[in-house]
Amino acid sequence: MEVAEFQKIINGYDIWLCVIIMIAIVILQSVFFMKEAIKEAAKIGISQEARKAAIRSASITAIGPSLSPIIIMIAMSAMLGTPYTWFVLNNVGAARTELAAAAMGSSVAGVTVMDGNIGIKAWTYGIWAGVLNSAGWLIFVFLFNHKMENMVNIMYSKYDKKWIKALLGGATLALFAYLLSSQLVGKSTANYAAAAIAGVCSFVLGTVLKKYSRLQEVSLGLSMLVGMFLTQFLFG
Amino acid sequence: MYDSKMVKIGRISMGLAIIANFIPAIYIGLRYGEMPSMSVIFKIWGLVAATYGISWIVQPIAYYPTLGATGSYIGWLAGSVGDIRMPAASMAQKIAGVEPGTHAGEVIGTIGTCCSVLVSATMITVFTVIGSQVIPLLPEFVTSSFTYILPALFGAIYTDIARKDIRAGISTIIMALLLMIFGGKIGIPGGVLTLVIVLGGVLITRGFFVIDKKKASES
Repeated sequence: MEVAEFQKIINGYDIWLCVIIMIAIVILQSVFFMKEAIKEAAKIGISQEARKAAIRSASITAIGPSLSPIIIMIAMSAMLGTPYTWFVLNNVGAARTELAAAAMGSSVAGVTVMDGNIGIKAWTYGIWAGVLNSAGWLIFVFLFNHKMENMVNIMYSKYDKKWIKALLGGATLALFAYLLSSQLVGKSTANYAAAAIAGVCSFVLGTVLKKYSRLQEVSLGLSMLVGMFLTQFLFG
Repeated sequence: MYDSKMVKIGRISMGLAIIANFIPAIYIGLRYGEMPSMSVIFKIWGLVAATYGISWIVQPIAYYPTLGATGSYIGWLAGSVGDIRMPAASMAQKIAGVEPGTHAGEVIGTIGTCCSVLVSATMITVFTVIGSQVIPLLPEFVTSSFTYILPALFGAIYTDIARKDIRAGISTIIMALLLMIFGGKIGIPGGVLTLVIVLGGVLITRGFFVIDKKKASES
């Protein structure tokens, strides 16, 4: 099959129609949750001002990391089509995971080199691998998430509340420690520099801007940019 | 009442998502005549399960204390849990002045997570549609620096959280780095490593909790 013909198929409007259903569910879920959470926030006495500030700061914080899969996204678009790439980036699984899964599926179809003309069979198998992989998380969470909620509630009733709160805080700290160290161990020195620069910047901004909550909302995004650009400047 | 309503929304949306997730694969298989047979599907499933199967189970458990029920439904459906959802939730809690691990914290965390979905979906949509035209126009300095987005983001956010309790912050990152280095050497799968590090963090917290309690009772 010609490259142009293959590219036309994988970017067809019918594929867009297939994937838009999932994206609609992702967005609607958040809209419904948000409506309920805002109602609840008002009920438990969180001021409108605080709610608005939370919305602003979360939105600003989400901008930077949303850009991180862009490079991989362009590569993926060429191999698997723009609609499917749009689909996977908006649902479960990081971009790297999706690309690795697609490569596994394609290998079953006998294609080992991923390029702009992998053929219909490898494309189909690659997408099957991607959705089977995503289904793993979706099904587990569908089946067990509410049961974990019960477990946490039992813990709260059984143990010292102060300790449970500390426990949850410790688990969160460790989770971010895991995410940070997975970007460092086995990676280049530049990664350590980026983390250290952004870390120092975030510490300084946090101290200096303590009184200016409006500016604090952008501190995380700003620290990230300083870390990225300064590292790029120093290490090339 | 609030919790049960959220679980209901979560379960319905997850159920629908499981179906919607398969639509592209089934459609493409039928439309273009390369539908894999059941045995091929099992073969593909075996390959992805061997690599990611542990993560399907361990990750939602390891992230649960941080995300809570609602956050888990959003995070595992919309993806990018560690790099977009959690930073947004944590920032929202900080700015609104609520503590994580409390009911108010969970509610604000949910608002933050939802906002992050709307923002990232918009950004990703814009960039998937126009990205291949716009990215080559950006200066190389900017596109190359994208490599450092994640280490910089996690460096910034870790410091921000760790500053509340510097002792725990320093001990936890050292523990995570050591486990990451040794775990990688002896070949512990990534998914299991997440859980081990979270448990390690809980142990460190317990240690300091007990020490502080003793000090308080002594004084």
